[in-house]
Amino acid sequence: MIQLQDIEKVYRTKTIETVALNRVNLLVERGEFVSIMGPSGCGKSTLLNIMGLLDEPTSGYVAIDGKPVKTHSDRQLAKLRNEKIGFVFQSYHLIHDLSVVDNVELPLLYRPVSAGERRKSALEALEKVGLSTRTKHFPSQLSGGQRQRVAIARALAGNPEIILADEPTGNLDSVMGNEIMDILLRLNQEEGTTIVMVTHDEHMALKTNRLIRFFDGQQVADSMVIEAQI
Amino acid sequence: MIRHLFKLIWNRKKSNFLLISEIFFSFLVLFGVLSFALYNYHNYRQPLGFTHDNVWQVWINPNTDSTAQNLAVQEQLLQRVRSFPEVAHASLASSNTPFSFNTMNGDLTYEKGKEVETHNFEVQDEFKDVLGLQLSQGRWFGPQDNSSLHPAIVINQKLKGDLFGSEDPLGKKVSANDSTHYTVIGVVNHFRPASEYAAEEGAFFGRINLSKDNKYVWTGLLIKVKPGTGVAFEEKMVKEISAIAKGWSIEVTTLEKMRQSKAKMTLVPLVAMAVVCGFLVFNVALGLFGVLWYNINKRTSEIGLRRAMGATTRQIRTQFVGEVLVMATFGLLLGLLLAVQFPLLQVFQLSPAIYWQGIGTAAVLIFLLVALCALYPSQQASRIQPAVALHEE
Ligand SMILES: Nc1ncnc2c1ncn2[C@@H]1O[C@H](COP(=O)(O)OP(=O)(O)O)[C@@H](O)[C@H]1O
Ligand SMILES: [Mg+2]
Repeated sequence: MIQLQDIEKVYRTKTIETVALNRVNLLVERGEFVSIMGPSGCGKSTLLNIMGLLDEPTSGYVAIDGKPVKTHSDRQLAKLRNEKIGFVFQSYHLIHDLSVVDNVELPLLYRPVSAGERRKSALEALEKVGLSTRTKHFPSQLSGGQRQRVAIARALAGNPEIILADEPTGNLDSVMGNEIMDILLRLNQEEGTTIVMVTHDEHMALKTNRLIRFFDGQQVADSMVIEAQI
Repeated sequence: MIRHLFKLIWNRKKSNFLLISEIFFSFLVLFGVLSFALYNYHNYRQPLGFTHDNVWQVWINPNTDSTAQNLAVQEQLLQRVRSFPEVAHASLASSNTPFSFNTMNGDLTYEKGKEVETHNFEVQDEFKDVLGLQLSQGRWFGPQDNSSLHPAIVINQKLKGDLFGSEDPLGKKVSANDSTHYTVIGVVNHFRPASEYAAEEGAFFGRINLSKDNKYVWTGLLIKVKPGTGVAFEEKMVKEISAIAKGWSIEVTTLEKMRQSKAKMTLVPLVAMAVVCGFLVFNVALGLFGVLWYNINKRTSEIGLRRAMGATTRQIRTQFVGEVLVMATFGLLLGLLLAVQFPLLQVFQLSPAIYWQGIGTAAVLIFLLVALCALYPSQQASRIQPAVALHEE
């Protein structure tokens, strides 16, 4: 589904050169729930951004569904992000001046669908995360857990094949974090959505199928969690 | 997408208020200045009704009160002026000659109709030839008017409309407030002597007849000289008539010079207004640019998010330009609410067409200005890398 080969990412500023990713190889299969762990600054977000076509690697090969994306135009990349990928961020990234349901409609705004259909899909997505009663609220009126559920609903509204979640529970307490984790697990198990999630929480990571550990821009472990648990 | 923009703008109405009110005020100022400029331009395009090339203005002033003697001198002086071969035509006139700063007005009434304000020009028969007046109806003054019971007058089209509407004015009697009655004998096409930039006003000519109870020394002597006549003749003429009219002050100028100084009266304030308005608009543009720049920088994470959700660079650019244009439309609509009162209520007696043109031009200029100011910041916004934009929080 997503294939990364020999990915390198180097950030250059005037004074320093940071190697954020060093020869990373990764194949995420359809239907997998992959968790990524590693210390802060080891390149997890960078990896997720490259998988989500938000950033380009300095060198290496990225393919979605077997098709290399290097030569894609801005429009083709936007279309892939819009249709195939849903994003969930640690800091939610909701638009403060839009109501919950308007926030959830966002990915559909960049598709040729009618206002009515947009609204319908958005409400369905909010139903899935249990926020049907908060559709007219504004983000500032919600708790952190509710905000992250809005963000998940927004990712779901576009009906993506894969969800990329960067520390989705990082700002939440364990109760709210577990709620979010349950939603993601259900999505993976019931709807077959592929999920790649960065997390710092070992408990959460152990609930997924596959755990990849990172250190200093390199994979240091890649194991099936089920095996690890046995 | 438009609906989405409306929602965004509405929900941010507090921070957008400043921008909208800036646009509102700029529109009103532009509308005012443009209407004024268009009004002057529109007047400028209308015929004056007379030609002023080679027409000289000779101001003659006796400086004494001995009427009988002065009247005799006036006649002698006129005869001398007419006898120069360089002078084609000459006519005494009341002091409100074309492009002068003098006016003489009064009211005229036709039958039981309403009083109509009008300008009164006292002229001799040759005045028509001095200024090349064109009659559209009836005739100009002639010796046959010497014996008329009610003094003959010639009116301009504007006064004809004001007094008579569509009625035929020829032979009709009109009265002034001092209960003098006049008979209308002719209509000139146009007569707009105040300034090239002034609207035409009602005007009528009365006849100066020196041989019949003339009581005044007419200070505005107009002469039409033959082409090519210059300063040498002016000196000669002034010398000779000064010899006749001893002690009188005599000043010669040309109608062209008078036209220029009259034009300055309009153009100087107009240019000043245009400069102030231009400065204001420039400031607003800078402010607008600054506000947009600031807003867009504040919204980088939103931009990154939208890119992640599948917006193309073009859609980002369109969204930001679109937002600004929608706000400009709000500001303009508010301004329009005020501006349309001017043509609807006929404020200042400008014709509604001029107001509408002012509104249209101001609106187009504002849209252009706003689009121009929005283009660059929006372009920059669309270039922000999504990963970088999402990183900044
Ligand atoms: N835009 C950037 N410019 C320069 N350095 C960056 C940028 N983004 C990330 N980095 C650096 O790259 C490394 C990896 O960052 P990141 O992927 O955010 O780590 P993680 O998500 O694992 O904490 C860090 O050292 C970080 O400082
Ligand atoms: Mg990170």
